[in-house]
Amino acid sequence: MVRFKHRYLLCEVVSDDPRCRLSLEDRVLGGLVRDTIARVHGTFGAAACSIGFAVRYLNAYTGIVLLRCRKEFYRLVWSALPFITYLENRGHHYPCFLNTLHVGGTIRTCQKFLIQYNRRQLLILLQNCTDEGEREAIQKSVTRSCLLEESSAGEELSDSGGEETAEAME
Amino acid sequence: MSNAKERKHAKKMRNQPTNVTLSSGFVADSGVKYHNGGRKPFQSQKEPHSGTSRQWQTKMSHHSLAESDAKEQSSSRVTFKKKGGWKAGPEGTSQEIPKYITASTFAQARAAEISAMLKAVAQKSSNSLVFQTLPRHMRRRAMSHNVKRLPRRLQEIAQKEAEKAVHQKKEHSKNKCHKARRCHINRMLEFNRRQKKNKWLETHIWHAKRFHMVKRWGYCLGERPTVKSHRACYRAMTSRCLLQDLSYYCCLELKGKEEEILKALSPMCSIDTGLTFAAVHCLSGKHQGSLMLYRANKYPREMLGPVTFIWKAERTPGDTSESRHLWIWLHPSLKQDILEEIKAVCQCVEPTKSTVCLPDPLLTPSQEKSRTDLPTEKIGKKRKWKDDEENAKPIKKVIGDGTRDPLQPYSWISPTTGIVISDLTMEMNRFRLIGPLAHSILTEALKAASVHTEGEDTEKTPHCWWIEACRNPDSVSLHHRQETIFELLGGITSPAEIPAGTILGLTVGDPRINLPQKRSKVLPNPEKCQDNEKVRQLLLEGVPVECSHSFLWNQDICKSVTENKIPDQDLNRKRSELLVPGSQLFLGPHESKVPILLIQQPGKVTGDDQRGWGSGWDVLLPKGWGMAFWIPFIYRGARVGGLKETVVHSQYKRSPNVPGDFPDCPAGILFAEEQAKNLLEKYKRRPPAKRPNYVKLGTLAPFCCPWEQLTRDWESRVQAQDESSAASSPGGEESSLRRDVVPCAPMPGRTRQLSDDEGTPLNDSSEPKGVMDTDGPARPGTEGVVGQGATGSLLCVLRSRKLLRQLSAWCGPSSGNSRAAARAPGTGQQELRREACLSILDRFPKALVWVRLSLLRKGSPEPHTMICVPAEEDLLQLSQDRLYCGPQEPKHSDPFKSQIRKQKEKKKLEKRQKRGCAASEGLAEGDPAAGQQPLTLGLWSGPLPVVTSHCSRVLLGFVTQGDFSMAVGCGEALGFVSLTGLLDMLSSQPGVERGLVLLRPPASLQYRFARIVIEV
Repeated sequence: MVRFKHRYLLCEVVSDDPRCRLSLEDRVLGGLVRDTIARVHGTFGAAACSIGFAVRYLNAYTGIVLLRCRKEFYRLVWSALPFITYLENRGHHYPCFLNTLHVGGTIRTCQKFLIQYNRRQLLILLQNCTDEGEREAIQKSVTRSCLLEESSAGEELSDSGGEETAEAME
Repeated sequence: MSNAKERKHAKKMRNQPTNVTLSSGFVADSGVKYHNGGRKPFQSQKEPHSGTSRQWQTKMSHHSLAESDAKEQSSSRVTFKKKGGWKAGPEGTSQEIPKYITASTFAQARAAEISAMLKAVAQKSSNSLVFQTLPRHMRRRAMSHNVKRLPRRLQEIAQKEAEKAVHQKKEHSKNKCHKARRCHINRMLEFNRRQKKNKWLETHIWHAKRFHMVKRWGYCLGERPTVKSHRACYRAMTSRCLLQDLSYYCCLELKGKEEEILKALSPMCSIDTGLTFAAVHCLSGKHQGSLMLYRANKYPREMLGPVTFIWKAERTPGDTSESRHLWIWLHPSLKQDILEEIKAVCQCVEPTKSTVCLPDPLLTPSQEKSRTDLPTEKIGKKRKWKDDEENAKPIKKVIGDGTRDPLQPYSWISPTTGIVISDLTMEMNRFRLIGPLAHSILTEALKAASVHTEGEDTEKTPHCWWIEACRNPDSVSLHHRQETIFELLGGITSPAEIPAGTILGLTVGDPRINLPQKRSKVLPNPEKCQDNEKVRQLLLEGVPVECSHSFLWNQDICKSVTENKIPDQDLNRKRSELLVPGSQLFLGPHESKVPILLIQQPGKVTGDDQRGWGSGWDVLLPKGWGMAFWIPFIYRGARVGGLKETVVHSQYKRSPNVPGDFPDCPAGILFAEEQAKNLLEKYKRRPPAKRPNYVKLGTLAPFCCPWEQLTRDWESRVQAQDESSAASSPGGEESSLRRDVVPCAPMPGRTRQLSDDEGTPLNDSSEPKGVMDTDGPARPGTEGVVGQGATGSLLCVLRSRKLLRQLSAWCGPSSGNSRAAARAPGTGQQELRREACLSILDRFPKALVWVRLSLLRKGSPEPHTMICVPAEEDLLQLSQDRLYCGPQEPKHSDPFKSQIRKQKEKKKLEKRQKRGCAASEGLAEGDPAAGQQPLTLGLWSGPLPVVTSHCSRVLLGFVTQGDFSMAVGCGEALGFVSLTGLLDMLSSQPGVERGLVLLRPPASLQYRFARIVIEV
């Protein structure tokens, strides 16, 4: 197929400051990464990476960030990521760093990886949990996510069918 | 981004998770009641299809909300611990250190993300089908057809997709397989069902395969062949033979005493327009006559339509007390009016049940519907045995009128005069052969029936009527005479040579017997032409009266002939059983004998050139025999035409076409309305930039011809002219008379004084001019009567032959002796002529004249072309420059354009408001939009202004048929002009250029010169 090939970097924003998460937005993060690339790789790097660069997905609750860049220059982006040490928003500096979890060729593979990763995290959490109540809550969410996996396959078609009809009615 | 693109993108992204930021969560959490009401509309507006992600988000916010309530904390500080944070310890480095942290929120956030991602991963988001998402190396042939070729994990999804695709396809209501549907019995059922609404001719199936069919006048008729054939059909009419199925023409039968019928019908026709029912050679039954019918005593207004008629030849000439038969053939669109009127004048009110055309009244409606198809009954029964024996009703082919309501009477009797009127519609087939080869085709295809001799076995044949007839030596000799005359026809080169309307009765054998193997073209046989003596006698004397006798007049015989027709199937089987394949089939006495009637149709009867063009023969057959005669005619090289060819035929004949060219009869008005509607629809289908703006072109009525207004405008125009001329000119006496005369037509006072004048025929306008002079003062009154009776508003078409002849003499360029005659007496002649004009105008105040227009130079007129009066400078320029094409109409301005724009803007505004506001306001706004009638760009809306003086040249009339004439080689048109306008124009034009007009098509600004010719 003739298309622009991309690389997707699945990263995790790690910060001790909860306000950091509060100010976690795609525009802020995108600007931050761009600035860092310019600082690390100079004008050439900034120009090379600015084509096709985007923040595809961001979850402030979990801190997951999906960055997109062109395949030719993803190494420049990748290598610049460790140099991010703080998040700047409205004059405030929140110390944080980015932890790259996965580098994929499509969003889909990243999503798949993310599912695996989150599940593993939950299990770890469950193992390490000592409090009874919390343990129960975690258990519940784990089972829910697992159940969702099964039900979603069934749901999906009826769901899409419903949407289709809704679209047709428009 | 365009709307469609946006939607596509939204569809693609609907399963993808959206960004989740704390700030959005913060907004949601800051107020509980705000949560549902405030946020959702915003989001739904932004992304209508992100249903799942939205759910997820709200779920998320729910969790956090519950938590924050429990912890009595601001939700902005909901603690979410990252992996690192978790490991590092609970306290973190935040300024507001939470009292305790929970792992459950962390876990919930993860779980929610997992579910969102799962959704994104598991669902295909593109528009492609499942197998299209597979990588190349996993694709297999015919995957969309066979689900099992897909990987198993995708099979389920693909299955559902395939089902959906099937649903999207139009569902066929095929409860039977193709083979069952094509089975004879089911096809018959289906055909019978389909012809319940619109009648089918017997040749319908043949036509439906080759023609564009239209539903018109309650019939399904072939409009034009699907092949390109305009020129070919013209050539067939001119030099070969064109065949048409005119079985849709209606036949009314009048039975009764001759003088009673004549007395009843005489008020409906006028001697002015030509011959009446009482014309001598028609009354004897020798010729077919044609005339115009009017509402009783309403001539010249309230036209009903043109008809042709034939009288049945009387056995004993001279005996007027004998009951006579009269057939009136008319177009189906005129039938309703004419039938009502004839019933009224004959005082026929009682429906009769006992006539021959009505079958057994005891039959149930369902049986009666298929009453006429006994010939096919045999097949039906045979099938019935095989299929289901309990089915009581054999399925029969509908022959004749399938739509007729069995309870509706179609025969009426008059108690006083004894006249019986019956409606013989669809009881007979009528085929028309046009062209010089018609004779050859007829003589080739039809063979006179063999006379039955005594020696043959008589008991078995079903054709007992023929045996009966053969016993009578008189009828046998008559048959032989008819046969010899029919044979002689083959030697005549063109039907035009025979006297117009000649009728020849004949009894022929089954034409299917001697069907040629292949379709061929007959050529006129020169050997037959050798019998010159007899041919000459035939041409000179015509067909003798007694030879016009046919058994077709006898309904019982017709019925028996229809019933005893051998089906095609049996005939073919017998043919296949022949010892020598391809040899002549001989049925002996079993061969059907079919009575037919041949009627010569005169071609072009008016004008000087090409007289007799388009003449031919009409063949009348009993019903049920249509296809049996149709195919043999075609196999002899006849080309078949449809309705369009009928129009072309009448155009080249320069005769008005039924019903389009009868603007004064109700059917014509209806036709014009329908045509206007269709044309308007067609016009509106084009975008405004791709269609002519008729307002700018100065065409007020591009789709219909406003005859009413045209005549009215001309009347007032001439009146105004007269008044001004009377005021200015010193020769006051004559003009004052004119002024008196013209407006008197609607004046009520004059009606009484000339009741005695009414009795005199109205044709004295062309009497010697001296008489006219003395008659002058008396004239207006007579016309007052006529005008009054018709309430003065109805228009009429001038059909008085004498007046037309006079007009046609005036129209031509007065040259040679006629000009000398016009000039020599000087003013006297001119005055006289004006006088004559006035008298004509008085008699026909709002009259139209049927004219032919032949273009001088370039230009091909089309229907609704405007006929205009040339200005003096046009004629001057033409006389200076012979190559002068014609003037140009200056472009008009479009006053409606700004209105339309305003309307559009208003609509747009309303739409915007509607979108913004609630639906309740939409109700109030709907009213003004509905109240305004929608303007169409390029069409004049509202009442038309004065049509005559709208353009730079004064409008005289409209063209109804116009095309490039292949006969003359230049554009030719037929149309109507206002009589008032025509006379006004003629009187103002100098002699040499008299009769010159300008033609302008509705979509053009160019005027072209044409000459008016009135042909009588």
